[in-house]
Amino acid sequence: YRRGAMRAVLRARLGWALRGAALGRAPGPPCWSCGAALPAGDGPRFCLGCQALQPPAPRPDLFRLMDCDRSFRIDAQRLQQRFRSLQRAVHPDRFGQRPPKEQYYSEQHSSLINKAYQILLNPLSRGLYLLELSGVEPVQETDCDADSAFLMEIMEINEKLAEAKNENSLEEIETLIKVKQEELTKEVTAAFERDDLQEAKKLLAKMKYFANLEDKLKAKKIPS
Amino acid sequence: MAALRAAGAALLRPRPGPAPAALGYHKKVVDHYENPRNVGSLDRNAKNVGTGLVGAPACGDVMKLQVEVDENGKIVDARFKTFGCGSAIASSSLATEWVKGKTVDEALKIKNTDIAKELCLPPVKLHCSMLAEDAIKAALADYKLKQESNRESDKKADNA
Repeated sequence: YRRGAMRAVLRARLGWALRGAALGRAPGPPCWSCGAALPAGDGPRFCLGCQALQPPAPRPDLFRLMDCDRSFRIDAQRLQQRFRSLQRAVHPDRFGQRPPKEQYYSEQHSSLINKAYQILLNPLSRGLYLLELSGVEPVQETDCDADSAFLMEIMEINEKLAEAKNENSLEEIETLIKVKQEELTKEVTAAFERDDLQEAKKLLAKMKYFANLEDKLKAKKIPS
Repeated sequence: MAALRAAGAALLRPRPGPAPAALGYHKKVVDHYENPRNVGSLDRNAKNVGTGLVGAPACGDVMKLQVEVDENGKIVDARFKTFGCGSAIASSSLATEWVKGKTVDEALKIKNTDIAKELCLPPVKLHCSMLAEDAIKAALADYKLKQESNRESDKKADNA
C-alpha cells in the first residue's frame, strides 16, 4: 500500500499522467502487466490500474521527455530539476522488490534519462540533436573541411597543448578553449533563432574541434 | 625511490586515448603510430613549399601535410603533423613517405584506397585515408598556386 501511495504522489507531482491525455495523443499499447489502457505522456509512465512501470517509448523526443521547449536556448536549472525528479521516480533501487520486467524497464528509463540530460545539457550535442530533429543531414565522416584560417587556429592550439609542460600553460589553453566555446555557443544560439540551420551546422562543426581539444586537455590534466 | 615513483607515475599516466593496439589496429598502423615518419614542419612561406591543411568536422581531427618541390617539379621532402586517431596519423605518415621522390603530377595520383589498402584500414576508418588524400591534394594545390603567382609577379617584373 505504501509503495502505491508513494507512486501516486510522485505521479501527481510530476503530472505526466493526465497532461498527455488532455492533449489527445493517439493511445499507445496497453499495460504490459494487466492490459489496462495507459494514460498518454512523455515521461516514464505507470499503469493507473496495477501501478506497473511501463517500458520507455522507442524513440522519444528528448525535449518533451525532459519537459523543455524544443529550442537551443535551454533553462539549465529547470532541466536539472526535471532530471532529478525523473531519476527519483524510476531509479532502479526503487524496483528491487518488483518483477524483473519492471526492474529492467527502470534501468532502461534511468539510462535514457541520463542520456537525455547529457545531450540537452551540452551545447554541442543539443545543437546536433536539434538539427537531427529538423531533418538536417549530419556532417559526414568523409566531409572535409578546408576553412584554412580556422584549421590553422585549431592546429596551433593542438600544438600548444602538445607542448604544454606546466599547469600555467595548460590553464591558459583551457581558458582559450572556454572563451572560444562560449563565443561559438552565442553564435549558434543566434543562428537557431533566425532559423538558419545550415549556419548552425557549420558552427557546430567548429564546436566539435574545440570539444575534441577539451577532451585532450582533460586527458592531459588527469595525472596532476 | 623517487626515480622509481616517477617511473611508476609515467606508467600510470594515460595516453590521450587508448593505445591503438588495444583498439585492434593493424600492425602497420601501430608501426606508423609509434614511429611516425617525417613528423614536423617546413617553412610555409617558402615559395617551393606547399602546405595542405585539412580537417574532419565529424570527428574534429586536423591534419597538416607539407611538400618541398625542387626546380624539376620533384618532391624532395615532405612533413606532416596530425592531431587525430591512430589511423589518421598512420595515413598521413604513409602519405609523406609515398610523395617523396615523386613529381607533383605523380603524387596527385595517390588514392585514398591505396593508403587504406596498404594500412589494412577497416571500413569505419576509411575516412582517415580520405583525409590524407585531401591533405596531399591541398598541399600540391597550394604549391601550384604559389608557382603561378610567382610567374605572374615575374611577368610583371619583365613588363616593368
